[in-house]
Amino acid sequence: MIKPLLIISFLSFIFVPVVDSAEGGPCKDYGDCDQFKPDLNNMASLQRGVGTFMKYCYSCHSLKYSRWGRVANDLQIPEDIFFEYLVPDQDAGPYDLMVAPIHELEIDNAPPDLTLVARKRTSSWVYTYLRAFYDDSSTTYGSNNLVYPGVNMPNILAPIQGNQKLGCKEVPVLAKNGGEKRDEFGNTITKEKCGYLKHQDGSGLLNVEEFDEFIYDLTNFLTYVGEPSRAERERMGVYAIIFFIIFTFLSALLYREYQKDYH
Amino acid sequence: MVTKVLNWINYRLPIVNTFERHLSKHPVPKKVNFWYLFGALASIVLILQIVTGIWLMMPYSNTEEGAFASIEYIMRDVDYGWIIRYMHTTGASMFFAIVYLHMFRGLLYGSYKKPKELVWIFGATIYLVMMAEGFLGYVLPYGQMSYWGAQVIISLFGAIPYIGESLEVWVRGDYYISGITISRFFALHVVALPLILIALVFLHLVALHEVGAGNPEGVDIEEFVDEDGVPLDSVPFFPYKVLSAMPAIGVFGLVFCVIMFFFPEGGGYFLELANFEEANPLVTPEHIAPVWYYAPYYTMLRAVPDPFGGLIVMAAAVAIIFIVPWLDRSNVASIRYKGILSKIAIVMFVVSFITLGYLGTVTVTETGKIMSIICTVMYFAFFLLMPIYTSIEKTYEVPKRL
Repeated sequence: MIKPLLIISFLSFIFVPVVDSAEGGPCKDYGDCDQFKPDLNNMASLQRGVGTFMKYCYSCHSLKYSRWGRVANDLQIPEDIFFEYLVPDQDAGPYDLMVAPIHELEIDNAPPDLTLVARKRTSSWVYTYLRAFYDDSSTTYGSNNLVYPGVNMPNILAPIQGNQKLGCKEVPVLAKNGGEKRDEFGNTITKEKCGYLKHQDGSGLLNVEEFDEFIYDLTNFLTYVGEPSRAERERMGVYAIIFFIIFTFLSALLYREYQKDYH
Repeated sequence: MVTKVLNWINYRLPIVNTFERHLSKHPVPKKVNFWYLFGALASIVLILQIVTGIWLMMPYSNTEEGAFASIEYIMRDVDYGWIIRYMHTTGASMFFAIVYLHMFRGLLYGSYKKPKELVWIFGATIYLVMMAEGFLGYVLPYGQMSYWGAQVIISLFGAIPYIGESLEVWVRGDYYISGITISRFFALHVVALPLILIALVFLHLVALHEVGAGNPEGVDIEEFVDEDGVPLDSVPFFPYKVLSAMPAIGVFGLVFCVIMFFFPEGGGYFLELANFEEANPLVTPEHIAPVWYYAPYYTMLRAVPDPFGGLIVMAAAVAIIFIVPWLDRSNVASIRYKGILSKIAIVMFVVSFITLGYLGTVTVTETGKIMSIICTVMYFAFFLLMPIYTSIEKTYEVPKRL
């Protein structure tokens, strides 16, 4: 029965690539999202992330499914320090939800809640989005975003990141077979393509690498808050898997022993 | 003392006899392969779904305002709520995966051949109820995909001529999907359908034990019995069958834990990303896709341009499974002794089913449309041509003993 199954899987592979998805990727005009690998055991990064969130994001965005005390506890920030330096609301207690003041007003078109943004759109999307703002005088806020064209959000991190504009660059022309086109001397043929982000060095508080780091920490925090049990889940998973490996091994031995009765 | 109590009970309720007849001494074919393990695994997942479901029900809120937030409450504030929920969501996908493999085993080795027609029909009914159960459960977290998925499925009723619109309202209990819809879906998901499911599983097993389990050779083991009437090619269920299932349970547990602990979203196939946003009747998601286990039928629905026609095709695709016992005219049960036509047919069937499943999860393209029509035709051809190819092909001789 193995042979037909092999044929089946082989045939399925022939069929599959014929119908590739027609729509663009989630990062839209940016192209492929930059890959983000969270590090949920890096407390320093998560602590910097929550600091950034409270300072720059919280005035407009809530984390309404998350509670203050849980965050302080998971991120190993002593509660008194957490409430003194990070929580603006004096009446907030550890069991209160992290609802921003703006969301208590019940206004239309309020900025979205961000508790689950990293789960809904993926961490890579968040990481790319936050770094893809550029100056665009045609919009209300004077800025736009390659990942989310026409986004109705000001470039709040502009003073830190500095100026970013759209520019053009020379890219290799691709032949039909997917390889680069070359002229008769073997040089790659290029053409000018526009819509790339160009950063003006020294215009912001941080340089490009530092800013990427800064956004990394913020995205890491948003990944954590999307699923606060994730680190524990992955820790527990290892033990569960070890258990089942041992279980399978022992029961296979037992099965072999009993099988001798009737073979 | 124990014997005395047992005797007292057994005199009034035949528990010892039933236990021996259906479990400890129940004869099963001594030589089967891994395809025969999925039935046991399915019952384990069923129990898992019931137990985790009961726990999830306690903190869940079946209201329009509270449903989505209560899921996040389970994920964050309930102790180990996340593990219970992931067990339930992973369990749902695994249940379908196992049942698909279990049903495929049936097709491979003719587990519907006389006298197992009723076993097959009960099984097909279980599958049908599971599809409804899965759909209802999918709506309960009330995320974007829950809402819009429900919108698509309920609007299918609207495609029925004359009564469609009023039927749609009757199913929803409202003119649009609302808290009323959620709470009735909740009642059906946690009480009505599980009761039916358990009853059907019971009947499936009783009918199976009446006619005896099959084997990959398609040999009738009842023909050669010892003086007690026990088939010579059988072994008692306990401990042999239980022990052969143990390593399988281990491997299954391993796969289950890898998914549950490391990939609970299953790449967006087990938990869809759009469902991490609360239902919003004003915003349609960019791409509405069913969960993977409905995808083949969703593709068939889309393959037909007319919604009512699509509904008929989809319903027929499920209904046709029920009549397989009468479509197969072959004089042998197992694919091993069937002719080349049956073998080609089953490969074509698997290819069409997998392709239909894949197409259901992606956006429609021109090639995709043509492919889905071809595969729908292939799917039906497998069943409808079965009476012809199983009766004209030359079969091989089945051995007498296992």
